[in-house]
Parts: sequence; structure tokens; C-alpha cells
Amino acid sequence: MATDAMTQARRGRSVEGKPKFAVAFTALFMFILYVPIVVVVLFSFNSKKSLSVFGGFSTRWYQQFFHDEALLSSLRASLLIAFVAMLASIVLGTMLALALERVSSRPARITGTVALIPLVTPEIVTGVAALLFFAGLGMKLSLVTVILAEITFSISYVAVIVRGRLSSMSDEVEEAARDLGCTPFQALRLVTIPTILPALIAAGLLIFALVFDDFVLAFFTTGVDPQPLSVRIYSEIRMTISPAINAVGTCMLLVSVLLISLSLIVPRLLGRKDSSLDLISGG
Amino acid sequence: MSLQVEDALVDATTEKRRSPTRTRLWGVLLAPPAIWMIVFFISSIAIVVMLSFGHVNDVGKAVFGFSLDNYKALADPVYLKVLLRSAMFAIATTVISLVLGYPVAYTIALHGGKYKNALVAFLVIPFFASYLIRMYAWSTLLADEGLVNQLLRDTGLTEGIRFLNTPGAVVAGLVYGSIVFMVLPIYASLERMDTALIEAGKDLYHSPLQTFFAVTVPATRAGMLGGVLLVFLPALGDFVSAQLLGGPSTYMIGNLIQQQFFEGHDQPLGSALTVVLMLALLVFMVFYLRATQRVNRET
Amino acid sequence: MTDQISTPAGTENVTSETPAIQLIGLTKKFGDTTVVNNLTLDIRRGEFFSLLGPSGCGKTTTLRMIAGFSDATQGRILLGGQDVTSVQPHKRNVNTVFQSYALFDHLDIEGNVGFGLKRKGLDKAEVARRVNDMLELVDLQGRKNAKPRELSGGQKQRVALARALVNRPEVLLLDEPLAALDLKLRHRMQVELKEIQREVGITFVFVTHDQDEALTLSDRIAIMNNGVVEQCGTPEDVYERPKTVFAAGFIGTSNLMTGTYSAGAVTVAPGIRIELPGHPELLDGSTASIAIRPEKIWIADFEPDMVRVHGQVAATVYHGATTQYLVNISPEIQLTVVEQNLVRSRHDDRWSDGDSVEIGWKPEHVVVIG
Ligand SMILES: Nc1ncnc2c1ncn2[C@@H]1O[C@H](COP(=O)(O)OP(=O)(O)OP(=O)(O)O)[C@@H](O)[C@H]1O
Ligand SMILES: [Mg+2]
Repeated sequence: MATDAMTQARRGRSVEGKPKFAVAFTALFMFILYVPIVVVVLFSFNSKKSLSVFGGFSTRWYQQFFHDEALLSSLRASLLIAFVAMLASIVLGTMLALALERVSSRPARITGTVALIPLVTPEIVTGVAALLFFAGLGMKLSLVTVILAEITFSISYVAVIVRGRLSSMSDEVEEAARDLGCTPFQALRLVTIPTILPALIAAGLLIFALVFDDFVLAFFTTGVDPQPLSVRIYSEIRMTISPAINAVGTCMLLVSVLLISLSLIVPRLLGRKDSSLDLISGG
Repeated sequence: MSLQVEDALVDATTEKRRSPTRTRLWGVLLAPPAIWMIVFFISSIAIVVMLSFGHVNDVGKAVFGFSLDNYKALADPVYLKVLLRSAMFAIATTVISLVLGYPVAYTIALHGGKYKNALVAFLVIPFFASYLIRMYAWSTLLADEGLVNQLLRDTGLTEGIRFLNTPGAVVAGLVYGSIVFMVLPIYASLERMDTALIEAGKDLYHSPLQTFFAVTVPATRAGMLGGVLLVFLPALGDFVSAQLLGGPSTYMIGNLIQQQFFEGHDQPLGSALTVVLMLALLVFMVFYLRATQRVNRET
Repeated sequence: MTDQISTPAGTENVTSETPAIQLIGLTKKFGDTTVVNNLTLDIRRGEFFSLLGPSGCGKTTTLRMIAGFSDATQGRILLGGQDVTSVQPHKRNVNTVFQSYALFDHLDIEGNVGFGLKRKGLDKAEVARRVNDMLELVDLQGRKNAKPRELSGGQKQRVALARALVNRPEVLLLDEPLAALDLKLRHRMQVELKEIQREVGITFVFVTHDQDEALTLSDRIAIMNNGVVEQCGTPEDVYERPKTVFAAGFIGTSNLMTGTYSAGAVTVAPGIRIELPGHPELLDGSTASIAIRPEKIWIADFEPDMVRVHGQVAATVYHGATTQYLVNISPEIQLTVVEQNLVRSRHDDRWSDGDSVEIGWKPEHVVVIG
């Protein structure tokens, strides 16, 4: 049954004969990928104030973190920034994606391209630009300016993800809604949006994770107090070496992993296939 | 959908009547995000460009102007060296990411079997940990008294190696920071590739390695190009890796910009540096788009 | 120019005679290509009307213009006597069954079918009642709470049908609704579709490129080619009396011959005159195209009034229920003859290739085209 074996191979896309080297290499790659992360987590539980010798298990750095009002206010600030930026960019990014999928007049196409530029612009450029913009307007740097900058960056992200999802949705579905008595807006509200909702949720979770962790934009646009968590960590890293940073880092890691896992799972729970994994690896 | 707009135009010119498909909705949807992007992105980039021709006045305030002084100042060898270094670092990062990332994408895509999705998720998760934290983790690992040197000393082979403050450490940091953006597009293009191609190639070429270079690599050029873009762009503008893993001797253009805005207080000069960075990326993008067009035409 | 073709019935005197759909000079251009060209067509109330034609001939485009998803470049569309050319899709009393079904993934079957009624603002109980009735009609009452992705192709198709029908539109548009189904299911759905149409009495406009489907289901068929209607008539009309060469060739197979008419017969080849009684409109010396259906040609057991021609068997193809013979009646003319295999079986071939035979047909089965 040679053909059986072949279809089997095709299904799994395993071309017979695994190159052992490639497999070993990938294993090593994955290992190195996780080394720094594991080390951060491990040493966040170190009882010693050392980053190279593990003295024993302790939660002292977490206690220190949870009693450090400055760090806690930074944590709250970061959560707030991520949450507001997520909501705003989901709304604006989805509007952009919907419009761009359907209009293709020249101004619309230009807008579409412009909306993608932030994705291929290094964050430092966006950061500098935002800083000068707010300075030019005479705006005092604060969480508000961070949020505005993060929204700008995230809109493009959301637009790309949502456009990807929309393009795999048949035009006929929206036409069917029109056919059954919907105005264009009702078709959008009652059919298109609910259809892409899992993708929107996944995108929202991704954006939250990205913004929560973001350093560069926040660094350029934040005021003094409270600072986003990543900015606070940056200044602490440069001043001292303290395992308390490991505890903070571990907490941030936890938030990210939680969000990413959710974005992988939620669409599946809703019975749809479009999880963030496809959004990331497909795009 | 584009046709509906054209239809509307045809209609408008041939017969006066309302189009049943025309709606203002898309325009209404487009306006807010478009205005947002124009206000917060385009205009802010424009300010950077304008300020790059400005100067700092007597009371230390940045003002607009029309002079090329900032650009002339950048012609100084001190700056040129940093610009060149940034380019070298970014190129090295891209090449290393490609060489390291390809086998990983290949293994997962073609030999991942039913664990493929899990492996991709496993690969992606670390990249959602804060970039800063990850760089910080490497800096503690590679420190003179860090874990790696500790282990090296325990083996008794060496007295320890100086990692930090070297170009190697900065590039390694950059590779670590964005290699996933190389792996994923290549993975996607391998996924789309017909494995029958490889089977056919095996009959044609002698060794698996020959088959790999003659069949698989060309079939995944689009993915590699995507990866090159996604790795090169952030690497060229990065300053965190050089800050945490390097030092003044390994500074990149991003560090110079950051200095001008946070230490040097010469914002017009910082703006000029930012414009140079954007121009470099523009040049890169032009070549990049040409290359993708060629690949698209060939496939 | 289209306005001269016909003046549509004013809305004030709508009668039961008013066609359900009138297309007047309907034209659709994409850029420079004309996809639907000056189409003028009346579709009667309660009829099962098919648009039949090869791929790319403009069937879907026509349907989309009727539904309002696509703008007509020129011409007008009247529904029940009312000009709807510039009316938005949601205000047209038309519903569509899409080729891809286009079910709403996020709603269950009940939600899908009740969608249009809810839009109309009917109260909950009424919606539920009508959805129930409709699901019963399409035999899906047990799957009310299933999601579309849990259904088979045939079930999805029936949901799509129910979702459109439940609104009791004046007109139901169906774009190749059966194309995605396998042959057996397709035949079953054809029967169901026809039954449902009879039951509800709604005008169906049915797009297909399957001629058998069109012939079995339709009250009338419009044969489309390159954006124009080649012929419009009952299945019998278009099959037995094709008006154009394309119509004759597209529906079933046809033996087409061209020759010069004189004295009640057409000379299709030197020495071969085919009798053509009862065509006073043909002038002596004019060129005439004629067609004879393969099953109308006999190869034995002739009846007395038959025209007979000599020929040679070129090939024999066994089809199970029928056998097809290719018979050369002249070096240039090969006729296809189909014979029902009523008594014989595969092995008792009556003729083998190269045999001389006589074939015959009744004169009234010769159709003049054009
Ligand atoms: N949006 C469009 N833009 C440009 N050309 C189009 C568009 N839609 C259809 N066409 C062209 O119009 C012609 C008719 O298309 P249409 O979909 O009406 O064909 P059809 O008769 O439904 O064919 P099929 O049986 O394959 O569905 C085709 O040649 C097609 O390429
Ligand atoms: Mg069609």
C-alpha cells in the first residue's frame, strides 16, 4: 500500500526521512529561546540577592514588588494604557479594515497604504515623532500621550489582522444580509461584525499584550509619574541590579502568556477556526 | 467591490440615476481612522522632518528653521561610524536570523506532524514576553559574573569570557529579539509549498541537500523576503539591545537618537538622525519591493 | 434607445397579468467588456423560470442586478410593475439563495431562517411560527438549534432556501443552488425544489448551467450566451424548436445541417435532399439551417411516413440505456443517432462499424433554425 503511505505522508506533510540535524537544531533553538525566560522566572524566587547563584526558594522579591507603591502604580498605569489602547484601536482599526476592504477609490487606497506605514516604521521613529508632536501642541507628557501614541501604532495592527479575516469571508454573506432586509449599517452590525467577532477578540488580546509590554513608544511619550511598568523597569535596570525586577518581569510574562493563550483558545471556544495563531502565522 | 465605485461613475456619466449599491457607510467608517492617522502619524512625521532643518536657540529651545546644519553635522566621522555600524549590525542580524530561522521553520513545517500548531505556539509565546525583559534577562545571563560565565568557570575550561559590550552580544540580542518574525513567514510559505515538489526534486537531484537548495529554497523565497523585512526594519532602529547588552562602543543610530532627546537635548539633531534612519529604510523598502515584485512575477 | 422598446406598465394598473419581473434593455459593463447586453425579458408571476447558459455568459450578473447587488449600466428593472432600478437591495421584495449558501455562521438554523422576518419587525411568536413551518417544509425541524457548520451540504442548501422563502418574497432568485451537491442529492433536491415551488407559488428565477436541470424544473427557460438571450420559451419550445444554432447545440445534441432550399426540400450535400414540408416562409434558393435530434432518427423498423437516407456506420457507443451510432450520410455529414436499448443487450450488436444502413425520421421532426 505504497499509495496509502504517500497520502499519509502528504497529510502530515512529513517528507520521509527526518533530517536528524534539523530536528536537533530546532530542539536546541527552542531551548535557547526559553533559557532567558526560565532564568528570569527562576531567579525571581531566589532567596539570595544574586542573579547567578540560586540560594533557595523564596517569595521575598514578590513581597518587595507588592509593597513598592511606585511599581504598583506603574503596573496599574500599564494595564490602563493597554486596556484603553486595545478598545480604541479595535474600534478604529476595524472601521479602517472594513472601509478599505470595500472602497477602492484612489484616496481610499492611499489611506490604506498610509495606515500600514506604522507597521514598517521602527518604533523609535514613531516614538520621536509622537514626542515632537505632543511637544509642538504643548501637551504635557502623561499617560494620555502614551495612550494616544499606542493607539496610533495599534490601529495599523488591528487593520491588518481584520482585513485578513474579512478577505476570507465571502461577500455573499453580507449581501445575504442586505437581501434579507438590512441596511448597509445593519448588515455590518448584525452579520459582518458577529462573523468576525472571534478574530476581533483575538486581535484585542494580542494588542493588549503588545501594548502592555511595549517599551520604546512608552519611553518616548510618557511623563514622570506614573510611568508605564516597562519604562520604570528600564530605569531600574540601569541603576541597580535587583532580583525584584525578575519578580516584576515574571508577572509581566504571566500576563502575556495568559493573554496569548486566551487569544488562541477563545476563538476555538466560540467554535470558530480563526485563532490568533492563524492571524500571526498566516500574515 | 472596487467595481461598484466604477459602476457608480459609469452610471453618473451615462444616465442620471441613483445607484442601488452606493452607500455613504464606507466613507463614514473610513473617516475617523483616516483622520486619526493623519493627525497623529503623518503630521507628527512631518514635524520630525521640519524640525530636522531647525536648531536650538540661545535659551536651549528647539526651533524650526531652514538650515542643513544638522545634516552637515552628521557628516562627521563619529556619526558616520555609528551609521555604518547600525547598518552592519542590522544586516548581520538579518543574515543570522535567516540562517538560524530557516531550519527551524523547515523542521516544524515539514516534520512537525500533528504537533505543528503546538510547536508554532511554543515558538511564538516567548516573543510576547516584554522585549525589554528578554534583553534584560540576557544581560544578566551574559554578565561577567552571570550564569553563563559561572558555568564556564565551573567546567574549568576558561577563566570566563567577556560577552557584554561586544558587537556579538548586541547582534545576538537583536537576533533573539526578532527571529520569530523570520521563522513565521518562512513557515507559512513552506506550509503552502507542495511537498510533491520535493519528491520530484529527489528524482532529479542527487542528495537531499542539493534538492533542498534547488527546490525548497526557491519555492520559499517569498517567505524569506517577508522575514527579511520584518527582521531588518526593527533591527536598524533598535536601541535597547545596544543599551543593555553593549555600550558606547557598540551604539547604533537608535542610541544616538535617544541620546539627543533624553541627554543631549539637541532635538533638531535628533530629528535629522531620525530622518536619516527613515531614508535608509526607504531605500531598503524600494529594493525590497522590487525584489518582491520579481519573486511574485516568477511564481 | 431602450425606452422605445417598451413602455412599462404604470404602477397604477398592476394586474395579475403584470409580469413579476420585467427587464428592459438591461446592460452591464465591466470596464470595456459588456457582460449583459441589452437584455429584455418578462418573467411571469408564479412561474419557474430558468436562466440557462454556459459559464461566464452573464447569468449571475443578471441575477445580481435583479437583487440589487450590482448596478445596471443601462436599462431598467421592474418588479411587479414597479421600477426598482435605483432601489437598494433591502427594499426590494426579492430574496436570493446564494450559490455559496452564505449562511450566517454566528446564528443557529432558527436564527438564520428567522433573520429576514425579524428585520421586518414581526413579533417573536409569529417569527417562531413561520420559521417552524418553513423548517418543516424543508424537513429540518429537528436541527433548529444546530449551527451552519454542523450541517451537510444538502442541509445547508435547504436552510438557505428556507431563509429566503420564509419571507414570502414576490420573487425568489436562485443562483446554481444545487451545483455544490453530489449527483444523487442534486436529483433529490431538484424534486424537492419543484414541489416547494408548487406549494408556495412564488416566482422562481433559477440560474443553472445544467441543461437537464433546466429542462426538468422550468416552466420557461431563457438560454443565454455572451450576455444576450438566444431563446426564451418552454422546455419543449427550446428543445424541440431551437431558434438559433447556439440554442440547438447547447441543449442536448443536435444534428445540424445547412443547405439550399428548393421545392420543399433542403440539399445538404450533393444528391442528399432532406424533405421539409410546410415551410412557406422559405424561398427557393435561400440557405436554410436545419436540425434533427438524435433520438428522432431511427435506424430500423421504420414507419411508412418516414424520410429515409442511406449511410454508413462510423462508430457505435454503448451508453447503457441507449446506444449511440455515428452514421455518415455523405463524406462531410455525420449524423448522431440514439436508440433506446429496449430489448437488446450489449453483445448482440446489430451493426458494426462500416456496415451500410438506412436511417429515417418523420419530416415534422426536422426543425428549421433561424
Ligand atoms: N466584478 C466583476 N468584474 C469584472 N468582470 C466580472 C465581474 N463579475 C463578473 N465578471 C465577468 O462577467 C462575465 C459574466 O459573469 P457571470 O458571473 O455573470 O457569469 P455566469 O453566467 O454566472 O457564469 P457561471 O456559470 O460560471 O457562474 C464573466 O466573464 C466574468 O468574468
Ligand atoms: Mg454564476
